[in-house]
Amino acid sequence: MTLTQEKPDYKRIVSDGQITAGSGGIIGKWLGEVKRRLGDSAPELKQIQNNAASEFTKTGLPGKKDEDYKYTNIRQYLQEDFIASKDGLNIDKTSIAPYLLKDAVNLVFINDRYAAELSNREMLPEEVSAGDLFATPDTLRDKVTDNFNKAAGRSDNPMALLNTALAANGFYIRVPKNFSCVVPVHILHITSGDGKRLYNPRNLVYMEENSQLTLMESYYNTGKGRIFTNSATELFIKDNGALENYIMQDEGAGSMHNDLRFYTIGRGAKTNCVTVSFNGGMLRNDCNVFIPGEHAEAHLNGLFILKGNNHTDNHTLVEHLAPNCSSKELYKGIIGDTATGVFNGKIYVHPQAQKTDAYQSNKNVLTGDKATIDTKPQLEIYADDVRCSHGTTTGKLDGDALFYLESRGINKQLAKKVLLQAFAKEVSDAIKNETFRAVVERKIDDYTA
Amino acid sequence: MNQMLEIKDLKVSIEGKQILKGVNLTVNKGEVHAIMGPNGSGKSTLASVIAGREDYTVDNGSITFNGKDILELSADERAKEGLFLAFQYPVEIPGVSTINFLKTALAEIRQYRGQPPMEAKDFLKLMKEKQKLVEIEANLTGRSVNEGFSGGEKKRNEVFQMAMLEPALAIMDETDSGLDIDALRIVAEGVNKLRTGENAFIVITHYQRLLEYITPDFVHVLYKGRIVKSGGRELALELESKGYDWIKKEFPEPAV
Ligand SMILES: Nc1ncnc2c1ncn2[C@@H]1O[C@H](COP(=O)(O)OP(=O)(O)OP(=O)(O)O)[C@@H](O)[C@H]1O
Ligand SMILES: [Mg+2]
Repeated sequence: MTLTQEKPDYKRIVSDGQITAGSGGIIGKWLGEVKRRLGDSAPELKQIQNNAASEFTKTGLPGKKDEDYKYTNIRQYLQEDFIASKDGLNIDKTSIAPYLLKDAVNLVFINDRYAAELSNREMLPEEVSAGDLFATPDTLRDKVTDNFNKAAGRSDNPMALLNTALAANGFYIRVPKNFSCVVPVHILHITSGDGKRLYNPRNLVYMEENSQLTLMESYYNTGKGRIFTNSATELFIKDNGALENYIMQDEGAGSMHNDLRFYTIGRGAKTNCVTVSFNGGMLRNDCNVFIPGEHAEAHLNGLFILKGNNHTDNHTLVEHLAPNCSSKELYKGIIGDTATGVFNGKIYVHPQAQKTDAYQSNKNVLTGDKATIDTKPQLEIYADDVRCSHGTTTGKLDGDALFYLESRGINKQLAKKVLLQAFAKEVSDAIKNETFRAVVERKIDDYTA
Repeated sequence: MNQMLEIKDLKVSIEGKQILKGVNLTVNKGEVHAIMGPNGSGKSTLASVIAGREDYTVDNGSITFNGKDILELSADERAKEGLFLAFQYPVEIPGVSTINFLKTALAEIRQYRGQPPMEAKDFLKLMKEKQKLVEIEANLTGRSVNEGFSGGEKKRNEVFQMAMLEPALAIMDETDSGLDIDALRIVAEGVNKLRTGENAFIVITHYQRLLEYITPDFVHVLYKGRIVKSGGRELALELESKGYDWIKKEFPEPAV
């Protein structure tokens, strides 16, 4: 069965915007904009979205006073004059070409909207379904949408509530039982346009038992406007599944991106997530990993390279609910000029999660005299037979190593770059897909210049 | 002109403490100079200052290399001019492969000298040739720079890099310490093969042994920041048998 996305019998799933509580606020305005565009959603989702909207009207946007947003005042970035509607698709096939990845299925989203005409899905195995989550054919809908908000709904994060309330666009991928999708799937997300825009992609990945997938996501911004992307992705990896998930954010200093991820990892399942963030005006990544299955394994890797007055905030939450699981985290920051970085990694080990092996490491190099990093490991352990540790280091480039390189004829600037690239390599090496790794390495090369 | 390096009345301090207190030294093409002296006398400081380490303050004096005032040059420019320092304590650089490191260094040096970039296959050929010269195992050069190397392996890697970069003047700071007896001979023979009559060596060492292999033209004793004695190779033998006490007696703490 091959799916095309342009058939009229697809149902759009979107909130009807009828908010009961406080609908006069920004959520009401944004919901109104979303609704006008897309019409009615399926009734079962209407309820979920309404609930999220009314919850959001109570919490409002997170700000400095919220402990989790202490250093990232979303309220200051995302203001009422942002418009939650999209511009037309002003990108053509030729200009999209450089962003596509070879030997991969490319699903293109421009300003949130799935652009079938720019995507190439010829390589997608017919066993795998992938496309626009909110245009899912009825035959598939239950399988996909039954899980909508099952993970994100556990969170009281205001940005997750906002995303759920406004959800109207995004991708889904479903890999059936015992199927190994050897062709990687690349989601290309490009924003463009002028003015102040709020985009709200909502994605869902559902991997059935014993299936395998490589999912690569790239986020770019080509416009001159102020763009705020509030993305949320739910990823369900059923028993013995294996997911490689690589995310590259290169949206430029004028853009803001709040990315929420919810992994649910089944028994014996594995995930390896690598998030690489460059030069974001404001980047906030919330990576939530929920491990209810025994013998599961989660690897989270992050690299952030900041300059100017960029701001990047990486939050991770790994929740161990089952015994004999392991999680490893490695986040590395290169922070220049007056940029600010944040790392907050929380490991929560529930009482039943005996024999948990959890490790977390955050290493930073400050290349600017006024650069800062706020790093906070948080271990909450309620089981007694576990191995949990964390470590964090922050410093300048090693002067001895620099001099060693210079003494061999390598000029200081290049020597610094060589050392920074070596520092970054540990994270980029966690990307197993060569094509994607090459793209990331090229960007590391650019951004360490 | 034969003169390669000329150091005149060099005074150097770090963190307000004067380490070198007026060093004079001239090295001509083709020569091997040995510098000996008790611990803490300033040998490594002298080597680092020549190589261009910025942490030191040059209070007085000059260093010219092939007629150029190199105190005006950055460390990498000095290397490009043909200087090389084999470190007493080579630095581990995780994540930087030895091959890429040397490729980058050679490319930089060649560009500075107006030479065309080296072809990949020529570079590999050169690597092989120099590996053989110092008998360094290929698996070492395949790893990150010095990462996890043993003390002796690090020293051998210094000489390997020296062989790769073919400097006009190489300063070897205690390259012999940490090398086993066989390695010492191999490395010394390697150095001898690199001698051309056009290049020169400054060998810093505590032991006469290395000088049995690499015959010095001059031996200097650096003591408390000054070269207090210079002689031929027999001076090294004398030091080996008598130690430094006689020097120390002869040169008590100089009045400041
Ligand atoms: N960064 C520094 N800060 C303060 N003192 C320093 C510093 N670097 C070197 N020194 C001092 O300078 C003096 C000379 O050191 P140097 O390393 O040059 O001696 P050396 O002759 O090479 O000794 P060795 O034979 O042990 O290698 C020592 O007293 C040392 O403690
Ligand atoms: Mg020394």
